[in-house]
Amino acid sequence: MVARWQAELGMAALLAVIGIVTIIGALEYGVGWSPSGPEPGAFPFYMGIIVLLASVANGLRAALPLLRPGLWAGQAFLKPEQMRLVLGFTLPILGLVVASLMLGLYVGMALYLFGTLVLQNRYPVIKAGLIALTTPFLAYLLIERVFKVAMLKGPLEAFLGL
Amino acid sequence: MDGFSGLLHGFGVALTWHHILLMVIGVLLGILVGVLPGLGAPNGVSLLLPLTFTMDPVAAIILLTSMYWGALFGGSTTSILFNIPGEPSSVATTFDGYPMAQNGRATEALSFAFLSAGFGAIVGVLLITALSGWVTQFALKFSSPEFFGVYFLAFASFVGLSGAPPLKAAVSIALGFSLAAVGMDSVSGSLRLTFGFDVLLAGISFLVAVIGLFGIGELILTIEDGLKLDGIRAKITPRDVLRTAMQMPKHWATLLRSSIVGCWMGITPGGPTAASFMSYGLAKRFSAYRANFGKGEPDGVIAPETADHSAGTSAMLPMMALGLPGSATAAVMLGGLMIWGLNPGPMLFVERPDFVWGLIASMYLGNVVAVVLVLATVPLFASILRIPFAIIGPLIVVVCFIGAYTIAGRPFDLWLALAFGVLGYAFKKLDYPIAPLILAMVIGDKAEDAFRQSMIMSKGSLAIFWSNPLVTSLMLLGLVLLFWPLLGALRQRLRPSRA
Amino acid sequence: MTRRLGMALGFLAAGMAGAAAQGWQPTKPIEFVVTSSPGGGTDNFTRMIQSIIMKYKLIDQPIVVSNKGGGSGAEGYLVSKTAAGDPYKVIFGTNNAYLLPYVAKLGYKFSDLTPVAALALDEFLLWVKADAPYKTAKDYVEAVKAKPETYKMGGSQSKDTDQTLTSILSTVTGAKFIYVPFQGGGAVGTQLAGGHVNSHTNNPNESIGQWKAGQVRPLCVFSPARLPAGPKVTETAGWADIPTCKEAGIPVERFQMPRTVWLPAGTPPGAAQFYEGVLKKVSETPEWQEYITRTVQTGQFLSGDSLKAFVANDDKLSREVFEREGWIVK
Repeated sequence: MVARWQAELGMAALLAVIGIVTIIGALEYGVGWSPSGPEPGAFPFYMGIIVLLASVANGLRAALPLLRPGLWAGQAFLKPEQMRLVLGFTLPILGLVVASLMLGLYVGMALYLFGTLVLQNRYPVIKAGLIALTTPFLAYLLIERVFKVAMLKGPLEAFLGL
Repeated sequence: MDGFSGLLHGFGVALTWHHILLMVIGVLLGILVGVLPGLGAPNGVSLLLPLTFTMDPVAAIILLTSMYWGALFGGSTTSILFNIPGEPSSVATTFDGYPMAQNGRATEALSFAFLSAGFGAIVGVLLITALSGWVTQFALKFSSPEFFGVYFLAFASFVGLSGAPPLKAAVSIALGFSLAAVGMDSVSGSLRLTFGFDVLLAGISFLVAVIGLFGIGELILTIEDGLKLDGIRAKITPRDVLRTAMQMPKHWATLLRSSIVGCWMGITPGGPTAASFMSYGLAKRFSAYRANFGKGEPDGVIAPETADHSAGTSAMLPMMALGLPGSATAAVMLGGLMIWGLNPGPMLFVERPDFVWGLIASMYLGNVVAVVLVLATVPLFASILRIPFAIIGPLIVVVCFIGAYTIAGRPFDLWLALAFGVLGYAFKKLDYPIAPLILAMVIGDKAEDAFRQSMIMSKGSLAIFWSNPLVTSLMLLGLVLLFWPLLGALRQRLRPSRA
Repeated sequence: MTRRLGMALGFLAAGMAGAAAQGWQPTKPIEFVVTSSPGGGTDNFTRMIQSIIMKYKLIDQPIVVSNKGGGSGAEGYLVSKTAAGDPYKVIFGTNNAYLLPYVAKLGYKFSDLTPVAALALDEFLLWVKADAPYKTAKDYVEAVKAKPETYKMGGSQSKDTDQTLTSILSTVTGAKFIYVPFQGGGAVGTQLAGGHVNSHTNNPNESIGQWKAGQVRPLCVFSPARLPAGPKVTETAGWADIPTCKEAGIPVERFQMPRTVWLPAGTPPGAAQFYEGVLKKVSETPEWQEYITRTVQTGQFLSGDSLKAFVANDDKLSREVFEREGWIVK
C-alpha cells in the first residue's frame, strides 16, 4: 500500500527537483535586471524558485506524520488492489509508446489493443484481432487519406511503400 | 459594425449548407467525446485542431465550437445516467442528476439539464452580441503593458477562485509558467531550458499536456475506481420533454442567477467548472428546499448546467477580443486561432468581422442544433456506454496518442503525453489543481513577452503599468482579485459545500 | 600510371553520377518540411509550391506538408540532421537556414544542408503611422537622430531579419532606435496602427491591409529598384510610387529575404537536380506569377552558382551585423 503521506512526499520531491533543474537552466541566460528589463533567465528562475520553495513546504507538511503520528493515519493513496489496476493499465501504455517509437504508431496500436484485450481482459482472440486490425486501418483512412497528415511510421510501412 | 447589423451579417456567413453540416458533425463528435469518460472537450477539440489547419477559419471555428457545445451536452448525459462526469464541468450535475435518475426521473433530469443548458448558452451568446460592438472601440488601445495587465488580471481572478490548497496551486502555476518558457524566447531570440536537447527546441506543446493531463490522467483515475458502467435505460419522448419545458419558468430565479454567475466566470476566466460549482452552491443556499439538494432536486441540475453553458459560451468573447481563454477549451481554440493566421485581440473584430460574426451567429444555431441532437442521441450513447470499459478504455488511449502525435508530428510528444498522463493522475489524487497549470502554459510566455516588451519600451521603468487609465484599472482590478482570498470570510460563505 | 587510372576512375564515377542525375526519380511519398508554423510566410510559400506541383503533376508521388516551426524554424532544419541522406525530405525556409546557427546553439550546421534553389526575394519597407508628420524617410531618420533612443522600431522576433535591418539602418545613418520584438508581422502592424511604436520594417504583404485602411504609410523600400507597378493600393498611391531607400537618401542599397529550398546533406546524386528542375518549372507557371504579384515579392530563380554567390554575400553582410551586435553564440 502507498500511504497518502508517502505519495505527497514523493510528488513534492519530484517537483522540487524540477524546480532545481529550472533554476539551473535559467542561470545560463542571466537572471538579473538589465536596462531593458528582466534578462531572459529571470522569469524561469523565479518560477523555479517558487516551485522549489512551495514543494519544500508541501514536502514538510507531508513529512509531519513522522513527528506526530496519527495526522494522516489511515489515509491511503493507493490500496494494493488499486495499485494492481493502475499498473495493469499504465504499463501497457508504456509498451504502446515504446512499440510505436520502434515500429510506428499503426503497428504499435495494433499490438497494444491486441495485447490488452487478449492477455489482460481475456477477450476472444478473433474479436480482439478484428478490433486490433480495423482500428489502425480506420485511423489511416481518416488521418492520412482524408486529412493528409503524416503519421509516425515504422519498418512495416517502409516495406509496404506507404 | 454594431451588434445587430453584425449579427445579421454573421447569419449570412454562417447559414450555408456546408457550415450547417459542419455544425452537425461537430456536435455529434462533441457529444461522443463528452459522453466518453476520459475524453473531454479540451482534448476533443485539440484532437480535431490539427485537422483544421488547412480549413477556412470560419468553417474551422464552427466545427470546433460545435464540438465544444456537443461535448458540454454529452458530459451531462453521462453525469445523470451513470454518475460519471464526462467533463470536469459536469461534476456538479452528478450531485442531483444521478439521484433523480435513480428515482426513475431520468427523462426529467436530462430534459432539465439540456433545456437549462440551452438557456444558459443563449444568455451567453446574447451577452457576447451586446458587448462585441463596444469591444472594437478598444481595438487599438492595447499595447504590451495593457496585454500584460489583462494576463495579470486573468491570473489574479483565477487564483482567487480555485479551491485548491494555496501552496499546491502556487506549484501548479509556477510549473505551468516554467513549462511555457521552454524553447525559443522570442524577446531575446535565445533558446531557454532546452539543456541541449533538440527535442525541446520547439517547446512543450500545451495540447500534448492537455491530452495527457485530462485524457490519460482521467482514464487512470477511472480505472483505479474499478469502474462499473451500469447504465440506466433512458428513453426520451417529445411529450416528456415538453412537459418538463412547461415547468422551466417556475425555476426562473435559479436560471437567471446561474446565467449571471456563468457569464461572469466565462468572461473573467474562472471557467465553466468553477462556475458550475459556484452556481450549485448559490442555488442550494437560496433554495427553499435546501434539504432536498443531493437527493434529486431539479434546481440542483438546472443551476450547474445553466452556469456551465453560459460560462462556456461567454468565454468565447474574451478569447476573441482579448486573446484570453475563459476555459480550458477556449484556450485550445485560442491556439487554433493563431494557427489559422488570426490574431486574437481587439483588432480581430476590425480585421475579420466575417469570422467574428460568423462565429457568434453560429453559436445561436449551434446550440439549437446541439439541444436537438443531444435529445435524439441519448439512447444511442447510452448503449455505447454498455460496451465494457475493457474495450473502450484502450481505444481511448489509442485516440489520445494519435492526437498527441498529429499535433506536431514529433515522436517525443508520445513520451510527453504519457508523462503528463501520470502527472495528471497524481495531481488529481493529491489535490494539485490542473486548470491553473494549463492556463499558465497557454498564456505564460505571452505574459512574459508582454512584460518584457513593456520594459523595453519604458527602458526598464515599471511606471508604464500605470501610465494610462486603461492599464491602471486593469492592474488595480488584478491586484484586488489577487488579494481577494485574504478577504476570505465572504468567500467562505459563498463557497459550495462539496457533496 | 596510377594517376591515369585514378583519373579514368574519376571520369567513370562522374559519368555514373551524371546518369544518376538524369535518372533520380522519387518512388515514394515526399515530405515538404516547413520551417514556420501554419499561416506564416514560409508556410504560404510551401503550400503554393505544393499546389502548383499537384496541379501540373510535376511529381508523380503524393506530397505531405509538415510544419516544424519551433525555435524560429530551427526544428525544421534539424530534419537535415535526423534524416541525413534522405531525398524525400525537402526543407523550405528563408535565409535563417544559414543565419540561425550563428545566434543559437543548435543541433545542425549549415553544412548539413544541400542547397536546391531560391525562388523569390521578399521585400522590406520602412513604415510609419499614417498621420505621422514625416514626409520622407530622410525626415524620419533626422527626427530619430535628434532624439536618440526614444523612437521605437517594432519588429517580429529577435536577432532576425527585422532587427538585422534596424541595426544596419542605425549604423549607416547614425539614428538609434529602441527595437521592440513582437510575435509576427501582424502584431507589429497593429502596434504601429495604434501608435505604440513609431515605425516598423514589415514585408509588403504584412501591412497591405493597414495601408489600404489608411492606418499606416510606407516611406521607402529597401530594394535596388522600385517595386513593380500594380493596381493602386490606396486612392492615390501604389507600390511603384514608393521611393527606394537610396533615392530617399538612406544609403542602404538592398535588404531582401530569400525564400529558399534545401535537402539534407548526403542525398543521392541527382536528387537536388531533380527538385531544382521541378521548382524551375513551378517558377514559370502563371499561378506562381500570381502569387508573387499578390504578395509583392520579387520573383527570382536562383540555383547552383548564383544561389551560392547570393548566400555567401548575404551571409557575410548579416555576419558583420551579428558580430557588431554581439549576437553570435560560441
